[in-house]
Amino acid sequence: MTREEQIAAIRRARAEVGRVIAGCASPQIETIARSADMELHWALWNLGEPVSLRAEMDEAAPQSR
Amino acid sequence: MPPYPRMPSPRPWSTSFWNETTETMPRAQLDRLHLARVQALLHFAYESSAFYRRKFDAAGVRPDDVRSLDDLKTKVPITDKSEFIGLQQGKPPYGDTLTLPMELIAHHAETSGTTGVPLSIPYSMADTVRYGESWCYGFWALGIRPVDTFYFAFGWGNFAGFWSAYWGARRMGCRVVSGGGLDTKGHVQAILRTKPTVLISTPTFALRIAAVANEMGVDIAQSSIKFTYHAGEPGPTALPGMREQIERAWGAKAGELLGIAEVDAMAPGCPIGDGVHVNEMNLHSWSMDPETGKEVSPGVIGENVVTGYANTAQPLINYRTHDLVRRVEGCACGRSWAKLEGSVLGRTDFMVTVRGTNVYQSAVENILAEVPGISMHYELVLTRAGENDVMTVRFEPEPSIGGDAQAVQKVAAEAGERIHRALHVRLECVPVPCSTLPRYELKTKRMIDQRPKEFRRALDR
Repeated sequence: MTREEQIAAIRRARAEVGRVIAGCASPQIETIARSADMELHWALWNLGEPVSLRAEMDEAAPQSR
Repeated sequence: MPPYPRMPSPRPWSTSFWNETTETMPRAQLDRLHLARVQALLHFAYESSAFYRRKFDAAGVRPDDVRSLDDLKTKVPITDKSEFIGLQQGKPPYGDTLTLPMELIAHHAETSGTTGVPLSIPYSMADTVRYGESWCYGFWALGIRPVDTFYFAFGWGNFAGFWSAYWGARRMGCRVVSGGGLDTKGHVQAILRTKPTVLISTPTFALRIAAVANEMGVDIAQSSIKFTYHAGEPGPTALPGMREQIERAWGAKAGELLGIAEVDAMAPGCPIGDGVHVNEMNLHSWSMDPETGKEVSPGVIGENVVTGYANTAQPLINYRTHDLVRRVEGCACGRSWAKLEGSVLGRTDFMVTVRGTNVYQSAVENILAEVPGISMHYELVLTRAGENDVMTVRFEPEPSIGGDAQAVQKVAAEAGERIHRALHVRLECVPVPCSTLPRYELKTKRMIDQRPKEFRRALDR
């Protein structure tokens, strides 16, 4: 998988995880989904992508820890 | 057929990089990323932290004014630890430096207080992940892999350094054994019992454990430990003599990382062993002439000034580290990240003037580590005589010559002579009996400042 393909896949995954966060009724599942989003954002950062400083800055949802 | 699918084992990676893409990224590409990240950080800090808004307003600079990395170095004001400590003392625990609401702070740590009052450090959850990641680059470069087991000879207090090493070991998927609550003999017994392959400790504490093992009749060089990894004080990269002693005592490969508690585990050791590489995914750094505030050329010793992306809860922007470094580009190991040759070469704030000569603590330490017969247990005592600072070296000889007064005096004379040749100043070198100087689990206190308060650094008074 090329770097560009990895980046595209991670962006798609973030979009899906973002849907889980937005529609979540469980604190446990929301915490896990936010953790997943934080890691996916960090993967983009370490692939050299110019992403925002913190994961939650890319979305309108409340901040995660 | 097994009843369950086999659990996947860690892959037998052949790469010597934790992330080859970024560790070997060309300079121009790295700098483009730095500029975007610095600009994002400046906006975030200005909009979220009362401290930074006040600071930037006073300097007449706005985040949009920074359009290049040169702008960062020339327009954005310098910050210093003393500012943060002052604000924290006025309004504990963090002053008005936070960029995030307190409920998003996931971990509190403190500096070791070596230079005076400890600094409180807040981290968000994401910050702890980023900080831990920094260690992984150095672990991987040394040869440590996910199948390894870490032993932490560390008391798990608020000292940031080894908490972040723990975050790094977890990130790599390694087994972790805690040495919390044990005395030195307990560490030896725990290592023999749990069979770790990596020791995490300060360099001097690694030597202390080895010495106690020897007293217990244990040849620790025959233990399961294959790697030792260190931070917190000058170690195997900064002091080649230290590397030799640790590797001989443990029969292991020794590594080192330059960390600054409030910034990041900022510069993992180069696998070649002669320096550390700045983690350019986690911070931007440059070298400044401490007198003029201007950038110095590559290869020229200057003060390391950092802007960190890892700690977003209390960002540090154009932050003086007081570490004197020699920054070079390019390395035979293939990493493009800036290399600090020999790690930290000295401290701007650990400099004293002895008989008209500027003497840095690290310079003396570098020399002592090379003198045969001097152990790693020594201290530099500062006193005042008339108008002059006086530095005296008090050292324990190696135990093998400790009982031979003539040999010990010869070592003292040799140390004095080497210091004079290298630094052009004569320091008295006084031997003391073996095992009489204090032992430390965390940072070893080398500098004993007995001068009147007015002659000491502000944070040490």
